[in-house]
Amino acid sequence: MSGQNATRQTAGTVPRARAVARPWRLMGFSFMIPSLLLLVAFFIVPLVFVGEMSFREGRLPPPGGGLWQNYERLFFDSFYLGVIGETMLLSVVVTLICILVGYPVAYFMVRHAGGKLYNLIIFLLIAPLLTPIIMRTFGWQVLLARRGLVNEWLQSLDLISKPLALLNSPVAVVLGLVHVLAPFMILSIASVLAGIDRRLEESARMLGAGKGMSFLKITLPLSMDGLGTGAILVFMLANGSFVTLLLLGGGSLQTLPLLIYQQFNTTRDLPFAAAMSNALLLIAFICLFFQLRLIRRKGV
Amino acid sequence: MAQMAEDTRERWLLGLVTLLFFVFLIVPIVVVVMVSFTSATYVSFPIEGVSLRWFYRIVEYEPFANSLWVTLKVAFMSTVIAVMVGVPAALYLVRAKTPATEFLMALLLSPLSMPMIVLGLALLFYFSAIGLGISLMSLIVAHTVVGLPYVVRTVAGVYRSAPPDLEESAVILGATRWQIIRYVVLPQIRPGIFSGAMFSMLVSIDNLPVSFFFGSPSTSTLPVVMLSYLEHQFDPSIAAISTVQMSIALIGLVFIERVYGLKHLGAPA
Repeated sequence: MSGQNATRQTAGTVPRARAVARPWRLMGFSFMIPSLLLLVAFFIVPLVFVGEMSFREGRLPPPGGGLWQNYERLFFDSFYLGVIGETMLLSVVVTLICILVGYPVAYFMVRHAGGKLYNLIIFLLIAPLLTPIIMRTFGWQVLLARRGLVNEWLQSLDLISKPLALLNSPVAVVLGLVHVLAPFMILSIASVLAGIDRRLEESARMLGAGKGMSFLKITLPLSMDGLGTGAILVFMLANGSFVTLLLLGGGSLQTLPLLIYQQFNTTRDLPFAAAMSNALLLIAFICLFFQLRLIRRKGV
Repeated sequence: MAQMAEDTRERWLLGLVTLLFFVFLIVPIVVVVMVSFTSATYVSFPIEGVSLRWFYRIVEYEPFANSLWVTLKVAFMSTVIAVMVGVPAALYLVRAKTPATEFLMALLLSPLSMPMIVLGLALLFYFSAIGLGISLMSLIVAHTVVGLPYVVRTVAGVYRSAPPDLEESAVILGATRWQIIRYVVLPQIRPGIFSGAMFSMLVSIDNLPVSFFFGSPSTSTLPVVMLSYLEHQFDPSIAAISTVQMSIALIGLVFIERVYGLKHLGAPA
């Protein structure tokens, strides 16, 4: 990946010099105008609007509530603070599992799968991304039901004596989220692994490093960029997910998106929902910041 | 010799992990497809008999058929707008070399990184405030914002790999601006437009967090109806409608693979 970027950059300097010598341009800035109008009117202004909304008086103004009342409630009430903590913790756990599961798969796909098998793996990774989200959740509901396949297997293996209540538990949520998000992790890691110069590993081996040592000292550090990109992406998507939580969590976990959904659906406390939505947006911005830094670093 | 044995062992071990992962990935989906063909009146797995009764049920149950129609309308309309707006922007951004291009590209792609529930809530507030409220039009606009980055990204990707030499030759040969765009640029980026549009449609069809906020009898999309159905009852009709929806997406994916190649989609976001 870094090698590719380097060539792109050196190649980039030549046309730039040419562009100066060539005042003629095929496409003018007017080409941008429709898309900018669309995004300003229906993306940026609405987000500013929610920002303003979050400072209005909510349903439950705390005594002496001022401008920041909704945020005070969100960040100082132990219940809501717990919700924010649970949202982050869940995302961290899901991200870690995705790394543990995704790295070996990405490694196998880049290093050991050639031609047809590689294409098949790519297809199998992308196809589930396009299956309806409700469908995947429903599949887990069937599998994890009290008399579902998973419980039956566990019982026939004598691992458990009574069926476990797997549904509506954090376990089901984590399974469901890993199922949805692991492909993103694998694709991110694989794209970086594919660009690692294998001569570096061979040199390490020749100089006497064992397989494990050369992986730990060479391959893993070089693939950190892909791992980081994937981790940020998975973390961000896990933070914002709510279908999986709603259908598989059954209230066993409370997260920000779930709470927004409930505020909107039942409580109708819109200013407070706006404040929560902004908190979620803030987390997304922080992730985006790190993502951009990773991309910049790769470019250098 | 020892190293080769080690390599073979590594290959088998990693292959096994990969195989298990794909079993984990595929099984829940296969289970749903099988449940959709059950003859039982309840959800059970393994299924007891085969029938198409649940596919008849989704035809009979009006909200499913209606919302499928709404979903397809919204997906198509929002994609048409996203293409009309996004393709020129992608063309400009690839060839323009000003300091602002990087920022503008980031702006166009930014809806991708937004938690969808945040976007849905914001658009609903906004549309209510400006008096558009919940309507098919506002739903289409909301989906356009979501689909635009997919169009821009794929078109820009294809156009970036097309050398500018052809355009320059056309200029030297005296072609006008529009002739160049029509006869030189468009033929080169056609696969990008097609795949970007396909993605935009597929993403729209399965979008729940944005569509959810625009629920009303005339604007509820299929995922929204499925979610509220699932919250109240648990029967195989959800499996049947899922299977139908997945078939639509798979056909789209095969098209993209033919035209554009999935390999180029390596790095997401």
